[in-house]
Amino acid sequence: MAENNNKSSEIKNPFEEMCEIYILFFDETRGHIPLLIYPSEKLIENRKFMRPIKYHPIWFLDVQEQGALDHIDLEYKKHTFMAKKFLTKSKRKKRRAGLEEETPETIVIILSLPTDLDIFGDDLIRNLTNEIRSNFEEKFTELIIAEIANEEIIKTPKIKKNIEKGKVIKTDLIKLIRNIGNNYFSKVIKQADASSIKKQKAISFLYLKGMDFSHISGEEALETFSSIKMFDPSKKSDPDLTLKTPFNITDITVIDDSQELEILVKKNNDKEYKDLRIIITHVKDFFEKELMNQVVDTWFKDEELLFISPIIPHINEYLFFIIEEKNKKKLLSKKIDLNFLK
Amino acid sequence: MAEKIKNEDEIIIRNYRTSDYEATLEILKELNEKYDIGLKEEQWRQSSGLRQFKPNLKRITLIGEVKATGEVVAMGMLEAVRNSLGKYIGYLDNWSTKKEYIGKHVGKILAERAIQILESWGCESIRINMGYNVDKKIINVIGKIGFKPVLIVLEKRFDTEEK
Repeated sequence: MAENNNKSSEIKNPFEEMCEIYILFFDETRGHIPLLIYPSEKLIENRKFMRPIKYHPIWFLDVQEQGALDHIDLEYKKHTFMAKKFLTKSKRKKRRAGLEEETPETIVIILSLPTDLDIFGDDLIRNLTNEIRSNFEEKFTELIIAEIANEEIIKTPKIKKNIEKGKVIKTDLIKLIRNIGNNYFSKVIKQADASSIKKQKAISFLYLKGMDFSHISGEEALETFSSIKMFDPSKKSDPDLTLKTPFNITDITVIDDSQELEILVKKNNDKEYKDLRIIITHVKDFFEKELMNQVVDTWFKDEELLFISPIIPHINEYLFFIIEEKNKKKLLSKKIDLNFLK
Repeated sequence: MAEKIKNEDEIIIRNYRTSDYEATLEILKELNEKYDIGLKEEQWRQSSGLRQFKPNLKRITLIGEVKATGEVVAMGMLEAVRNSLGKYIGYLDNWSTKKEYIGKHVGKILAERAIQILESWGCESIRINMGYNVDKKIINVIGKIGFKPVLIVLEKRFDTEEK
């Protein structure tokens, strides 16, 4: 992989320590090849980080298969690797029989976050993918050509020109990623709605990393970064410290007679939800198979609903999702391990 | 003695809540005594009457509550089952009214609401399973809201207790 010599990428961004972003493509002769790693391309030498990238389940799924799940996650050594895959147009002559110039390129974007902070991941990977696709869809072929050209031993003037083109595109891509990261994290912290958990987590993490947030608590806070109030020790704490997610699973029962799993879900707020998709899947050898995919047209205020799924013999791990249909936002995602229920 | 429900506004038809558990269990016990519906108390749990979603099945338990007193006086389960042709058939099950409210129109109000719901779920038809020796009066009463006898169901019961 080409070393990124762009000096701008070396300027420390306060949010760089929060996540890593990998953009990769599928090379028909060499397999999964990184096109860009943000914030530092040196991560390619770090086996801890590259191992889950190369063996991420996203590589084994069709683009259509990831549809309902929005993104595919892998947890590895206290990091969550969230991935999205898409195809882009190609005009590149392929190096394998049976593939044509028009055969689309497979691009994968992976966002790695500490597992404790994966709450940020859903929106961030969606933003990243949308922005990168809309701004660089046409340029991926040139970037891939430059990446392949880097591997050539003899670099002709034409090859050198392609490499230069690739560097320019890569610089723009880094700028875009940095902007998305800056905007996203500052927005998350600025939000004044019920996302206080996100705010607190973000601030805690940034404090832990030694970042200075004194400007938030000072008078100038009104003019700058955030409307958030810093911790005031004179105030009494809220006795209810449970996470205020919109839904939570209140009971899970295994019905032995019928080999069914009953999942009781309670709504935690007064909001009435429309068109929620409920998906229950199980995982086997990295692949997810759907057991239930149903739409709840209206989930009324204070209502508890019961979802019943068949149990598959010898499968103990199931995934339960509640997804808002209109914006594909995941309102609840839980792993259910039958071993803990027995 | 309960008075006749003269006006639909006097009764509230709503979804089952877990707080209805005791009242619904009593109603089901009465029903079981009379028609042997095969009720096992331990199988009717607090969550049993909640709206349920299962592959190819949706189920709701409707509750009839007297508005003035808050007393639960009737219940009925309705479910939509997708058949092998992909069409939904609605079923009314465990339909029962407290003894003192029988003949007071509570069941009729409940049934009309259930029909509305099953229609909105896209059911092609609605079926009610009844005992073979059911009183003809009941068939006549239900017939007034459009139900006609069309099927005979034969059943063989397994004695699961002995197993």
